[in-house]
Amino acid sequence: MSPKLKKSFLYWALLSPLIVLILFPFAVMFITAIKPANEVLSPTWWPREPAWRNFIDMWAVTNFGNALWNSVYVSVLSTVLALAVSIPAAYAMSRFRFAGQGFFRQFLLVTQMLSPIVLVIGLFRLVVWLGLLDNVNSIVFVYGAFNVAFTVWMLQSYFSTIPKDLEEAAWIEGASPAKALVMVFLPLALPAMTVTAIFSFINAWNEFVIALTMLRRQESYTLPIQIFSLVAGRYTVEWHHVMAATFVATIPVAIIFAWLQRYLVRGLAIGAVK
Amino acid sequence: MIRSPLTNPYLLILPGFLLAAFIILWPLYQLGTISLNDVNRFGQLRGFNGVENYVAVFTDPDFLGALWRTFIWTGAIVIGTLVVSVPVAMILNEDFYGRAIARVIIMLPWAVSLTMTAIVWRWALNGESGMLNSGLHGLGLIDQNIQWLARASTAFPVQIMIGILVTVPFTTTIFLGGLSSIPDDLYEAAKLEGASRWQTFREITLPLMKPFLNISIVLNMIYVFNSFPIIWATTQGGPANSTDILVTYLYKLGFRFGKLGEASALSVMMFVLLLAFTVLYVSLAMRRERT
Repeated sequence: MSPKLKKSFLYWALLSPLIVLILFPFAVMFITAIKPANEVLSPTWWPREPAWRNFIDMWAVTNFGNALWNSVYVSVLSTVLALAVSIPAAYAMSRFRFAGQGFFRQFLLVTQMLSPIVLVIGLFRLVVWLGLLDNVNSIVFVYGAFNVAFTVWMLQSYFSTIPKDLEEAAWIEGASPAKALVMVFLPLALPAMTVTAIFSFINAWNEFVIALTMLRRQESYTLPIQIFSLVAGRYTVEWHHVMAATFVATIPVAIIFAWLQRYLVRGLAIGAVK
Repeated sequence: MIRSPLTNPYLLILPGFLLAAFIILWPLYQLGTISLNDVNRFGQLRGFNGVENYVAVFTDPDFLGALWRTFIWTGAIVIGTLVVSVPVAMILNEDFYGRAIARVIIMLPWAVSLTMTAIVWRWALNGESGMLNSGLHGLGLIDQNIQWLARASTAFPVQIMIGILVTVPFTTTIFLGGLSSIPDDLYEAAKLEGASRWQTFREITLPLMKPFLNISIVLNMIYVFNSFPIIWATTQGGPANSTDILVTYLYKLGFRFGKLGEASALSVMMFVLLLAFTVLYVSLAMRRERT
């Protein structure tokens, strides 16, 4: 056996307890999702026959379509909002030195550290005051604002890697700053903006406390709240539907995230120490 | 320099600053005001009452229980995560067959919303039909079903375990970033000098990883301290508030019991605590930048 093969066996063996623990909930989720209704409560591992129908039934029973639409709406709009204000801010932070820059950076850091839960009562009053309670637009604003710190950090750390010479060259060629920005800078920054947008989207997609507090009627529920409402405070829980819904709500986002997480780390690592 | 709104940094940061400041400072101001007033459950202020709300929070036995549990919760998850993540990161930093797959699996919990993870665990931990019990049965580890979430003595450790599991991916990635920044020739030099593996780890890896360890500890302290969905979606702090930590207790105070004054006072105190953590983080990050 080659040394590398031996090493591989050893490492996989060392990692296996953790891997089992990580994969266990995914297995539970998937297996329960394909169990027929009459087998769900029996503690067997495999269903006698996979009930793929569960996914179709779940859609109607759990009001999935509506919640899915709300989640897409909130995640897209809050991402657009966060990026619309963060791109200019990140551009300024990476391109200019100005008085108050340090203050702005500390301010962002504090907002990043502050989880919405600590402010939840104040946020609730704010939303009531604005007359937006039970309106998905309220959480668009809250998510957008809480994402600003993260998006500015990420974008700034990537923007700093784009050489300033390129824009200056465009200025010298007679392009206005606006034109230089659109023609030279933005195309180069596009990958960074895409990655940041996806993470901002996933943050909003997964958020729980704010949605739980601000959304009171089922029509406005986002996916986490909708699925939570199928479980919390109920005597009978249709677990096969809940797990099917969880599966559909989770897996696409998980795949995108797993694929992109190394960009997140690079951005955070640069942003955290700058 | 050509004059244009695009070259004025203040104009460029203004929208972001205003949005974040509005959504954060206005609620903060509200919390401060409510916490110093007598307030009814509908949020109407009925006059200044000094620090009475703060006193009420501190004399509430449920608060003291939740405070103590928050210490255990935060400490156990942060330390547990550290103990798991250091070896995992060191393994994932080595070259072996299937490393890419191993990395993706280890990162997986990060990608799933905590709410969903907690709901799946709640089902897996179900006393009669849960797959954890049937799995342990199958392995011959237990012969009676355990009602995992019915008592704090089993529920809270399981919640901590879930907490560690979802914190490992972030921490491991930070450590991987740190490990890849250590130059290989240091290890080669140590090998030539005849250092043992343990010596190499203690004398080279650990000291060079220290800034990354520090930053991950402080960041995890903040995240775990704020973590709400795991406990809320598994037990809602129950049975009888026995698995409450500060954030779940705060939510109950405000939205279940209607004690807005006390809830606001608690929020303000938690804000101050988080601010202290943040200052700690900044000083650590700055020290790292200087060295």
